[in-house]
Amino acid sequence: MKLPEGFDFTQSNLKDYLDCPYRFYLKYVLHTKWPALLVDDALAFEERGKAGARFHRLIQQYLLGIPQSRLDAIAQSDPNPEITRWWENFLENVPHLLEGQRYVEASLSTPMLNQRLVAKYDLVLVQDESQLVIFDWKTSGKRPRKEWLLDRVQTRLYRYILTKAGGSLTGTDEISPEQITMNYWFAPHPEAPISLPYNQKAFQADQTYFENCIQEILDRKEENFFRTDDERKCRYCLYRSHCDRGVNAGDLQGFDAFELDEENFEFDLDFDEIQEIEF
Amino acid sequence: MPSSKFILFGYNSTMPLTADQEKLIKQDIKSKVFLQGPAGSGKTTAGIHWLTKLIKAGIPPHQILIFTPQRTLSLPYQNTLYQEEVQAHGPVNSLTLGGLARRMVDLFWPLVGIDAGFGTPNKAPNFLTLETAQYYMAHLVRPLIEEKGLFDSLTINRNRIYAQILDNLNKAAVVGFPYEEIGGRLKSAWVGDIEQLHIYDDVQFCADQFRSFCLENNLLDFSLQVEVFLKHLWTSPMCRSYLSQFYRHLIVDNIEEDTPVTHDILKEWLPDFESALIIFDQEAGYRSFLGADVESAQSLKDSCDKIINFEKNLVSEDGIRQVSLGINNAIARLKGTPQSNPEPSFEAVRAAIVSPAENPKYFPGMVAWVADQIANLINDGVSPGEIVVLAPFMPDVLRFTLTNRLDELGIPNQSHRPSRSLRDEPATQTMLTLGRIAFHSWEMLPERINLAYALVQAIDGLDLVRAQLLTAYAYKKSGSDFPLHPFEAIPPHVRDRVTFRVGERYDRLRNWLENINTQAELPLDFFLNKLFGEVLSQPGYGFHDKLDSGNTVAILIESIQKFRWAIGEQLVSDEISIGKEYIQMVNEGVIAAQYVQSWETGDEDAVLLSPAYTFLISNRPVDVQFWLDIGSPSWYQRLDQPLTHPYVLSRAWEHGELWDAEDELAASYQSLQRLSVGLLNRCRKKVYLGMSDLDVRGYENRGLLIRIIQNILQHARRETS
Repeated sequence: MKLPEGFDFTQSNLKDYLDCPYRFYLKYVLHTKWPALLVDDALAFEERGKAGARFHRLIQQYLLGIPQSRLDAIAQSDPNPEITRWWENFLENVPHLLEGQRYVEASLSTPMLNQRLVAKYDLVLVQDESQLVIFDWKTSGKRPRKEWLLDRVQTRLYRYILTKAGGSLTGTDEISPEQITMNYWFAPHPEAPISLPYNQKAFQADQTYFENCIQEILDRKEENFFRTDDERKCRYCLYRSHCDRGVNAGDLQGFDAFELDEENFEFDLDFDEIQEIEF
Repeated sequence: MPSSKFILFGYNSTMPLTADQEKLIKQDIKSKVFLQGPAGSGKTTAGIHWLTKLIKAGIPPHQILIFTPQRTLSLPYQNTLYQEEVQAHGPVNSLTLGGLARRMVDLFWPLVGIDAGFGTPNKAPNFLTLETAQYYMAHLVRPLIEEKGLFDSLTINRNRIYAQILDNLNKAAVVGFPYEEIGGRLKSAWVGDIEQLHIYDDVQFCADQFRSFCLENNLLDFSLQVEVFLKHLWTSPMCRSYLSQFYRHLIVDNIEEDTPVTHDILKEWLPDFESALIIFDQEAGYRSFLGADVESAQSLKDSCDKIINFEKNLVSEDGIRQVSLGINNAIARLKGTPQSNPEPSFEAVRAAIVSPAENPKYFPGMVAWVADQIANLINDGVSPGEIVVLAPFMPDVLRFTLTNRLDELGIPNQSHRPSRSLRDEPATQTMLTLGRIAFHSWEMLPERINLAYALVQAIDGLDLVRAQLLTAYAYKKSGSDFPLHPFEAIPPHVRDRVTFRVGERYDRLRNWLENINTQAELPLDFFLNKLFGEVLSQPGYGFHDKLDSGNTVAILIESIQKFRWAIGEQLVSDEISIGKEYIQMVNEGVIAAQYVQSWETGDEDAVLLSPAYTFLISNRPVDVQFWLDIGSPSWYQRLDQPLTHPYVLSRAWEHGELWDAEDELAASYQSLQRLSVGLLNRCRKKVYLGMSDLDVRGYENRGLLIRIIQNILQHARRETS
């Protein structure tokens, strides 16, 4: 099947495909918006997402060199008291880890099977001896196990793309997987980030994995994007009513907060699209 | 990923280059080039090759900035990165003035909140959409109209008053003059009745009130975003250093469609870039009503090392070029400044322009003629994607009539980014009507007939006759009780007619609406999310499997969500219900009056129906154009905007000069020339002229464009004979 013009493979659409091919088809091929709730307690869910987005912005501002005193004032005035705690945790535990050239909110991509794989990093550090360190800030409550993180699409894709495209940050032709480490830092569990070094074997495995996945998508006919057999996935899927897979949204407690994409809660304006308007 | 579909000319970095394009590409990679030429001369294609050259030279894509007046114009550049041979390791950055200002204000807010005078600088900024800005403007101006008699001599819709005051603020920001001067500038150019001058004082007063309110409440409409960026961030070393380090190479396209403030910024910024390519489309400047300024765009030439000219239009065949020449000559004659250009050949013009043997009297006749001509063209082998139907504005009635006719003929067609009224969509009305039932304490219960319509949409298998019967017995508007009664409460003979299957579905919906707010009142957007997900999209209900309705409801919910995010805090402190306020604003036409579909799933090989200016900006040449309603003055006349003025508020206007009838006529000639020549530059073979004696509204059609076409033909015939 031909994917829409301008389509990029990202961690979230690959995860959607792996969860349910039909969800992928509705969302990215047909661009169907299905305005059901994702979780039952929508207000708390929204507040969690917005708080995460504000916290990410604070770190970004810190990394750009905005005076800490101003950021402290903003963190303390935040309506969500957790932000203050997360901010203190960050200041106590992270800055000393941030040695190196900083690439904040950097996007990198690499071609695969005539498609494009894209990753947007919270932070990439280029350190001495060409070590590249990815930082990903998480505000989710649980601190997962290392093995679980190693298996996530995000971990696999981010490290893979940095190996392929990180040369554009270092100015070198090639990056070896051994130069790369991915750090997840959890704001509510600030002690040390979970550090996941990369290696050639994992790189090869990831390459095969993503190639197979993309090839599978490209080979599918439209009518073969089937609904998942695992109906647990439908509890946290917007399309559940369209698929006759349930009535009520899943509960907030059971939602995998690791997958929360804070960007969805940022206010997105579209002034650029102003067309002629008859006043 | 692009957020909207944009129909693109097939720009391709593998196409062979013209000599002009070769000349550009051979420039040193550290050059700063000003590239100018007419539309269709291959400038954007050359720009894409320039981008490819930068990437192949090893420049990281994130260091490249594509700057355009409208985001969609950067898509050809973005799409180039998908070509296999380009092998880019990341997306390039695309920005517009609005995008740059908003992004920088958001990022550097801790630095500007205090200096810019915001009331609570430690709290996050609240960015307003057009809708929410209009809401706040209405909130402030409505009492001034009702209680203080502002704008009392004007007889226009209030929403147009709000929109034009906002437009003035935006003009002040993008042209670069203090917003405090809006009223004075408008007054100084006014030549009409002196008693009308006070409306400009009213405009200024409202603009002042709005700005103070925004500052006090951390609200940033478009104009304030641009002003804060310009005054406080563009001058900040930290922000400038961030921008200079982040972006090292610049490509600007359609610079002539951008605003003076953009040109000022780019002029100051240029020395910081390692390379720059600035592309200027001659004979353009179509967005003057949005502040585009051709003259200030040209001033960027002086900041570049080299100016390259592309001379030749590569699109149009000779006949079309002859028509273009004829239009330039005819307008020069009408202006009293005839040129010494040769006259076009009569045969060539006649072959390039097609019009009906006899004009139909009414516009449906014109539509029928257009549809028949399109059918003939397709029968003769023209691809539908090579045909575009244009009018200065594409009113719904014209669009629907033409679409229906084309559908009847089996001709694939699509409408370019149709702006539609969200509140008029049946799915929207259904959701809001049911919302008014569930939130009955708001005392905004719907009319019985509207509820009947909503139930027809909501319940599968219910028709209007039975819905009216059902609501006649089950819907009671009086009292504070829940207004919908159970199915079993209506008389048995009515139940029989409605059917028990429908009754069961009705009961489930009724019970859901009655119980949803018993514990705590949900925000209206979440209420609608739940109503859609738990009831209306379930089997047995109207939106089950209706993907289009789902999309419409999603846009409505997004509009309410943005309203809640932008307005909610303010309303909660005033103890006003956000949902109730939203519905009232929808009823008044302040919000949800217009929306643009963000994604169209159209067939690209389809006849395109588009407003003329939208088509111009899309940079897409076609074989055949149909120009509709060519007798209409909309082809050249300004919109009637009594509270604003795009020329008087432009940078070129001398303060104190009067805007008189001569200026108006000169502006009309200029608009018509730019529009018609611009369209011809994007046409390869033929133009079909659609006209009727009376227009859509029944007015006689005798506009300037018809006279010009007649003038061209007369002169061409005389010259040829």
